[in-house]
Amino acid sequence: MKLLKPSWVSHNGKPIFSVDIHPDGTKFATGGQGEDSGKVMIWNMAPVLREEDEKNENIPKMLCQMDNHLACVNCVRWSNNGLYLASGGDDKLVMVWKRAAFIGPSTVFGSSSKLANVEQWRCVTILRNHTGDVMDVAWSPHDVWLASCSVDNTIVIWNARKFPEMVMCLRGHTGLVKGLTWDPVGKYIASQADDHSLKVWRTVDWQMEANITKPFSECGGTTHVLRLSWSPDGQYLVSAHAMNNSGPTAQIVERDGWKTNMDFVGHRKAVTVVKFNPKIFKKKQKNGSSPKPSCPYCCCAVGSKDRSLSVWLTSLKRPLVVIHDLFDKSIMDISWTLTGLGMLVCSMDGTVAYLDFSLDELGDPLNEEEKNSIHQNIYGKSLAITSTEAQLSTTIIENPEMLKYQQERQNSAQANSGPGSAGPESSAPKLNSVMNGESLEDIRKNLLKKQVETRTADGRRRITPLCIAQLDTGDFSPALFNSAPILPSGSSMSNQLSSQLSSDSSPGPASSLGLRPSHDPMLTSPPPNSAVKGLEDNKDGVKPCLLLTSASKIEPMKALDSRFTERSKATPGVTAAISSIAGLTPLDRPKDGISALKDVKSKEDTSSDSEDKMAAINKNLSFSKRKPDLLMDGGEVVEKRKKGRPRKDKMAAPITQPFTQITPPAEREPSRVAAPPAAAVAALKLPTPSLKKAFSLQVSMEPSVFLEVENEVTVVAGSRLSQLRCSRDGRDWNTLLPSSVVTAAGSSDVLAVACQDRMLSVFSSCGRRLLPAIQLATPVSALHCSAHFVMVLTAGATLSVWDVQKQKALVKNESLLTILSGTDITVSQSLLTQQGVPVIGLSNGKSYCFSSSLETWTLIADNGDSLVQCADFRSCLPTQDAPVSSGPLAVMQGRNLNAGRLASRLSSTPHHLQQGMTLAFLENQQAAALTLQSAQEYRYWLLIYARFLVNEGSEYRLRELCKELLGPVHKSAATAWEPTTLGLRKRELLREVLPVIGENLRFQRLFTEYQDQLELLRNK
Amino acid sequence: MAKVQVLNVAVLDNPSPFGNPFQFEITFECMEDLPEDLEWKIIYVGSAESEEYDQVLDSVLVGPVPAGRHMFVFQADAPNTGLIPESDAVGVTVVLITCTYRGQEFIRIGYYVNNEYTDPELRENPPLKPDYTQLQRNILASNPRVTRFHINWEGLADKMEDCENVDPSPNVSGMLPPSCIPGKMPPLGLMPDNSMDFM
Repeated sequence: MKLLKPSWVSHNGKPIFSVDIHPDGTKFATGGQGEDSGKVMIWNMAPVLREEDEKNENIPKMLCQMDNHLACVNCVRWSNNGLYLASGGDDKLVMVWKRAAFIGPSTVFGSSSKLANVEQWRCVTILRNHTGDVMDVAWSPHDVWLASCSVDNTIVIWNARKFPEMVMCLRGHTGLVKGLTWDPVGKYIASQADDHSLKVWRTVDWQMEANITKPFSECGGTTHVLRLSWSPDGQYLVSAHAMNNSGPTAQIVERDGWKTNMDFVGHRKAVTVVKFNPKIFKKKQKNGSSPKPSCPYCCCAVGSKDRSLSVWLTSLKRPLVVIHDLFDKSIMDISWTLTGLGMLVCSMDGTVAYLDFSLDELGDPLNEEEKNSIHQNIYGKSLAITSTEAQLSTTIIENPEMLKYQQERQNSAQANSGPGSAGPESSAPKLNSVMNGESLEDIRKNLLKKQVETRTADGRRRITPLCIAQLDTGDFSPALFNSAPILPSGSSMSNQLSSQLSSDSSPGPASSLGLRPSHDPMLTSPPPNSAVKGLEDNKDGVKPCLLLTSASKIEPMKALDSRFTERSKATPGVTAAISSIAGLTPLDRPKDGISALKDVKSKEDTSSDSEDKMAAINKNLSFSKRKPDLLMDGGEVVEKRKKGRPRKDKMAAPITQPFTQITPPAEREPSRVAAPPAAAVAALKLPTPSLKKAFSLQVSMEPSVFLEVENEVTVVAGSRLSQLRCSRDGRDWNTLLPSSVVTAAGSSDVLAVACQDRMLSVFSSCGRRLLPAIQLATPVSALHCSAHFVMVLTAGATLSVWDVQKQKALVKNESLLTILSGTDITVSQSLLTQQGVPVIGLSNGKSYCFSSSLETWTLIADNGDSLVQCADFRSCLPTQDAPVSSGPLAVMQGRNLNAGRLASRLSSTPHHLQQGMTLAFLENQQAAALTLQSAQEYRYWLLIYARFLVNEGSEYRLRELCKELLGPVHKSAATAWEPTTLGLRKRELLREVLPVIGENLRFQRLFTEYQDQLELLRNK
Repeated sequence: MAKVQVLNVAVLDNPSPFGNPFQFEITFECMEDLPEDLEWKIIYVGSAESEEYDQVLDSVLVGPVPAGRHMFVFQADAPNTGLIPESDAVGVTVVLITCTYRGQEFIRIGYYVNNEYTDPELRENPPLKPDYTQLQRNILASNPRVTRFHINWEGLADKMEDCENVDPSPNVSGMLPPSCIPGKMPPLGLMPDNSMDFM
């Protein structure tokens, strides 16, 4: 054993309360008292480990210091993935720190010290809930939760994936809680407090599992901290300060029955901190001696107020080593390196000691795989997911391709983490960064001339500062979490939102949509001037509720704030208006549509947006002779809702889908449509839209196409004609129909209208009739167009889809009876994908699509599916790719497919069961995406599937997947292998899958094998 | 915890004739989007003896400030010579840059300024009435003195919560130490030792 006290690790003599070594072993953090605040410091590990590095002045010792805590810092802890540092202090706060990637080193301006912050760590979130000093913080395995405990007697569990969300506040201690430790399997968390108790809490329901008091009954509240620890095999929990026969001990608590039969004895004063070595060891094999199987054991360090430190092996009865007088004051914290051979100890006296052990002393550490197999034997749950990083360091890379790949990965990771790594070359501030091709120097030269200066209303100067670096606040960005839905990109947002309307036929869409803007005003960006005008001109008191432009232009403009508030005030009015007219209008209108829209019905109105529309419709209603009917209908909507029919919030909420169109108003209100006279006909199973004097809708965004229908516009020779008018990119055409139009739909390619006489007419986007009128057996219930496909759902519960381009039927009068089994089930949603696949959502939460190749209904989504609830693939979600939330599958399943939210609570579920459920779920998703012919979604789920297989170590399935994607290397006539699926080239997909496989070195042979074959094929 | 950190202040156009405008290029970093503007001021201390002669040269709003690192140049006209005591025109004085957020000062950066004649003749025998056209202003840019104050960064809604987080010592609870009322600045040497850093 070697011992070192690096004198340069100090808080200027102030106490150091906590120390923690980064998982990668390159740095460590200390926390304690600063000059007039709390202080967190991050240090370079290299100068501790190597004397030459300590002497080398080019190697920085201190990497960063943070004075942000207002009072003494009691605890610092790195997350298991090493990305975050959590600190808790007397200021009642927990701060979570992240390395700022884009900003190089800098000194503190005006500071006396020449010590530059080599790395920039900044607070990404502050967790406020405790009402007293925070004494200890702990990250759960897999960094799912962060726990903090405080002198306010509580323990708070924070959602580490969604700071600052609080999961639970554990109450039960009646004294200051001074220490926390997680069970390595994640099933429990244990806490020790001044109330003479150690409590174990379950993570499943956050209830108390055990309350252990006996060994602590004699204890006085005399220690600053009570840092307890759980053994890496999970079998033992060792407490801090306990008493046995009036002597201070560290109590060993067995997981099995929480028995307290053993303890570590010998310290003369209270034990402040216990820390298990993260490794499990086995006896060192002596050269020559026959290898006999020995029981694995753990290693544990105990620090005490008596200033001494003892290190124990669970295989020995006496301590391995006891070190006295290492410090002048109480030991406060201990941290092991992940290798298990190094240990840092800090003390109230403001110093830190480093202990270095050899394998001879401790034994042979088990590698991660062996450790996992121990876990799996005991708990049936593998921790393989966490171990990939650790494995990397020990597994030999077998071929240059893999090495190259791994190096590329590392490089890109380094590039991401910015230039300020601990190397000497980067310690100089790099201010010559380049922006838009202009160096910072150039910018500075002209800054005064270039900067934007305005005058405020009261005549004051206002300068808009030039942003020279964006702060990466990473995934904890508050903006991300406060604005509920994250849209994948700004490109087609208006499309998505409009189409959302179309696919939505549940009874309550109007209200949920109307309310949306108040939930996430962030989604709206500054309206263009014309739109602003429209807003201000608005005299009807009805505000347009959604006004969308490209999302990429979101700017924090103050002027917008007021607009948001105005809008949220108006929202209730909008909702009311909409429900009273039973959702007649498309709710939103993109800015580019504004000019194109000329509402003939409201000539006196000059404004342009959707309020215009509403005004028009209001007028229609009041002029209409059928007003009573409509009112009654409106009443029925309300009634239906009261009955508690499941509201499809999931679907009504932020669904996006760029592939269907704005609908005829009709199919959004199946409930109310049930009322009209048609209801008398028993054969009609599905509701039909009621006839209106006039209506209009937007059928496409790009190009923008508007449809207007006016029924019974003229009477020529006794026959009543209806007019269909269409405006496409500002160009109008119109045509006349001999019967009243019930509903209409369109896409950028085709338009379809269904008439009262059960005739369906199809026109090209320029108004040319494409097909002769189609006679339908029963009236139309819903009509959709998408690309060159037309879908009709008739009141007789049959479905037809035609390909207008090829003039062919894809689906012919297919009955819905198969899926409409049961009495109460109704169609709540229907849509048509761009590929012409019809999808029907039912009120029981199931969604089906009709596969024309299989000529059958296939189930693509089931909200009640237990697999959905239990599948846990969160660790496999791609980090860069935005989730595909706009495909038909996502639409039908709802956005709230919360990636196994429940699953984390089910850690008691046997691992193999959970693994099975997740696999089944992921395979279901792929199959559904395939049937829906939704290529992007297929790719998305395929990649998650691959990642999951890689994490779970399922080589058999992985190999099959690769084989399918690669196909036969040599072509032969007999091969039935299709090189593409849904238009995606399978080998391209394989190229995407391979890097995922390469992340786990265990599969390097598989990686190499397929990498080589791909290369071979490419060279051919 | 301060949401805005001043990273650097570069003194431009220095040294320069007395009548030239002051120019400071200020680089700061903001941890999160600020809903309100920052207000920066340049205060010229006319006389080391008394605060009476302090002149606010200009104040400017800076915004919007999203999270990130930003820079701007703050330019303000030279002090009104009529307001400077004749005896204090030549020699060392101080210029201050302060920044406030929601009316609370959180940083104060002070520089020594040396005003002297460039002409050796004049330097030897300075005229009784200072000749400002001949004076050169030299800001001791290498030696800024920075004082930082804890303030309440949150809006009123959070005020209660934030108060709890502030160390409950009586003089901090008012958020502003008595010395930071803008314009009332004791001479540099007597600056509060709140979190003073010397270079």
